[in-house]
Amino acid sequence: MHKYILRRLLLLIPVMLGVSFIVFTMMYFTPGDPARIMLGESAPEADVQKLRDDLGLNDPFFIQYGRYVKNAVVNQDMGRSYITKRPVFDEIAARFPNTLKLASMGVLIAVVIGVPIGIISATRQYSLFDNISMVVALIGVSMPNFWQGLLLIILFSINLAWLPSSGFDTWKHMILPAVTLGTSSAAIITRMTRSSMLEVVRQDYIRTARAKGQKESVVINQHALKNALIPVITVIGLQFGYLLGGAVLTESIFGISGVGRLMVDSIKSRDMLVVQGGVLFIAVTFSIVNLGVDILYSFVDPRIKSQYK
Amino acid sequence: MKKRFLVLLSLMLIFSLVAVGCGSNEIETPVAEEPSETPSETPVDSEPSTEPVKDTLVVGQGADAKSLDPHATNDQPSSRVSKQIYETLVNQNEAMELEPGLAESWTQIDELTYEFKLKQGVLFHNGEELKASDVKFTILRALESSHIGHIVGPIDGEKIEVIDDYTIRISTKDPFAPLIAHFAHTAMGILNEKAVTEAGEDYGQNPVGTGPFKFVSWVNGDKIDLERFEEYHGEPAKVKYVTIRNLSDNTTRTIELESGGVDIAYDIQPSDVARVEENSELTLLRDMNLSTAYVGFNTEKAPYDNLLVRQAINYALDMDTIVDVVYEGVGAPSNGPLGPNVWASNQDLEQYGFNIEKAKELMKEAGYENGFKTTIWTNDNQQRMDIAEIAQNQLKEIGIEAEVKVVEWGAYLDGTANGEHDMFILGWVTVTGDPDYGLYALFHSSQMGAAGNRTFYSNDRVDELLDEARVSADPAVREAAYKEAQKIIRDEAPWIFTWSGENVSGTRANVKGFSQHPAGHHKLSGVYFE
Repeated sequence: MHKYILRRLLLLIPVMLGVSFIVFTMMYFTPGDPARIMLGESAPEADVQKLRDDLGLNDPFFIQYGRYVKNAVVNQDMGRSYITKRPVFDEIAARFPNTLKLASMGVLIAVVIGVPIGIISATRQYSLFDNISMVVALIGVSMPNFWQGLLLIILFSINLAWLPSSGFDTWKHMILPAVTLGTSSAAIITRMTRSSMLEVVRQDYIRTARAKGQKESVVINQHALKNALIPVITVIGLQFGYLLGGAVLTESIFGISGVGRLMVDSIKSRDMLVVQGGVLFIAVTFSIVNLGVDILYSFVDPRIKSQYK
Repeated sequence: MKKRFLVLLSLMLIFSLVAVGCGSNEIETPVAEEPSETPSETPVDSEPSTEPVKDTLVVGQGADAKSLDPHATNDQPSSRVSKQIYETLVNQNEAMELEPGLAESWTQIDELTYEFKLKQGVLFHNGEELKASDVKFTILRALESSHIGHIVGPIDGEKIEVIDDYTIRISTKDPFAPLIAHFAHTAMGILNEKAVTEAGEDYGQNPVGTGPFKFVSWVNGDKIDLERFEEYHGEPAKVKYVTIRNLSDNTTRTIELESGGVDIAYDIQPSDVARVEENSELTLLRDMNLSTAYVGFNTEKAPYDNLLVRQAINYALDMDTIVDVVYEGVGAPSNGPLGPNVWASNQDLEQYGFNIEKAKELMKEAGYENGFKTTIWTNDNQQRMDIAEIAQNQLKEIGIEAEVKVVEWGAYLDGTANGEHDMFILGWVTVTGDPDYGLYALFHSSQMGAAGNRTFYSNDRVDELLDEARVSADPAVREAAYKEAQKIIRDEAPWIFTWSGENVSGTRANVKGFSQHPAGHHKLSGVYFE
């Protein structure tokens, strides 16, 4: 198992190199000169050229990329933001805690809502409960986050004035954004749990369990659920990894300073080193979450554990 | 078991109905009556406004500052914070008049040289006293900056002379009349040499000025906290603390104002103006500013090299409708290249006005009776896209088939600088309040392309007038030259003169002493709570 984890972590190195190369290339060939965007439409061309020299933007592509990789590997330095002049690592580190809190609360809410409803829907397929929860889940999947967020603000911040509408200082600030994120993920998790459970409850061993007179709750919780959980964990992991990359719309609406907004702002202003650092960071967190999910599999299903050698 | 789920389910349904119900109500009836009770009733995190002494002023703006080093950026959100921390040699008040700032007085020694007398006993936030050497250091450092080169550019770095601790002479390379106005630009805030040297690369996060507020902390991307500087040389700030929050979503900013999360919200969107206005808890401030929006022609390309075509299009567009629809009545249709708050702005110019017959006549005269095909470039700014779309429809009347091309900002600046466009939509802010800033870069033939003249407009007389006004020390001569230049530009129509902007801010009703500066960076030291 340890060897497996170590191997997976080592695999991160080529992933990071690949990701950094792709992002660097994409940003390099994206139209729009970072220096011109930074200085605005009113700056004289001479100033723009001067800034390009200062930032090293006039160097050929491979020299720029080589310099970046060398700095990152040798000096563990991802550079400084073109715009704020803050170290890229600090920029990301300052915002990641918010994103992590938001993503964790969102996923927690999603799991607490999604998994039980999915199980019940599956065990009572085509019942009223099942139909209604599937409709609600469909609405949850389809409803855009920014719209749901605004509705929640109007109800809870303006009309009822129970919760603050933006900021991210206390637990009260976190409720609305976490619910906004959580409900849409919950919908996906509900549907996945239901379909996965439906597949499992039709298996022979479930019939056997019932035939030998096992209580229904034991049949569902012990026999069926464990086997149905693998795809559900996969989806939860994917959702979590995705949310760790930043939920741009939710962050904007609730005025949360997170990784998502940082990325969008940096892309717009062609703050290449921040984009580069940010994408790398997201790639790494995603890979680590994936690894975590793979490890979780082994706890749920011992058969998988035996493969992790 | 079944029953319990049914109850849960009904609760969920009720919740969603309530949410949706309240949502739609909200849109129809502005919040006027209801929230009058909220502050006393609700322990929302911000302090309730009923508290006797509120000492923190919270301001919401649409973006975070980029850097608080005035030489490292020249964007509005940063300037709005820097304005509270730094002071300039010359101050430009809300009426756009120049008055003494850190310099008590100044005199022009010769065509190129000004002498400034500094106020004595002015302290920086780090306890250092302001000396002429700091001013020299600041200007030399500014000259190195690529961000504000166009503001300090005319100054000759080699001819800055420190006479004594409180006297300094500054010369320009060529005669440059708007110099004093440039010294009032927020980018010209005076820095402390020691603080800058000590902080090194991190100075932008550790600003030290002489202003009424000193910097306390910055939560990246979220908010900046300032505190009153107790040893301030002028009238001390009225509130003890200021927090400037980054609320990039326009709706969120208005909602935060409504719910009391911020005391002042900058840049209320046209669509939210009525909501703020009708809310008795809030005050709306509207003042014309220094910005203008225009639709430019690429005057080097056919058919826009033809004056008649440019004029025809100016007549064919109904600007009143455009301003009403796009800006929902905020701002006003413009009659020339400069807004009304800019000094020597020629407000006698006549608006083209909507006259479709005349437009058709001119098109015929120009030989384009059957119109032509063209493109209108815009970036993804909602208002510009709306203008483009309305123009597209209205131009059909005179046979012009326009395609709207939405181009990403970076590519947009590049493309228009290289002259790849036909028509394009942009804006300009004459931030110094001097016409030189608003005309030279945009209409002088030496400034074509990226430097600002993206219409590639060229007129010898305009060049001559702009040059003359740039160097003349006589305000009357300058004024006459600028007025004539504006008249020519209006008649030659390298632009469709579209819109003069307005600053729109909202405050909570208990916020007093706040007024807007036309340049958009509003002073907060005089603001207090009632």
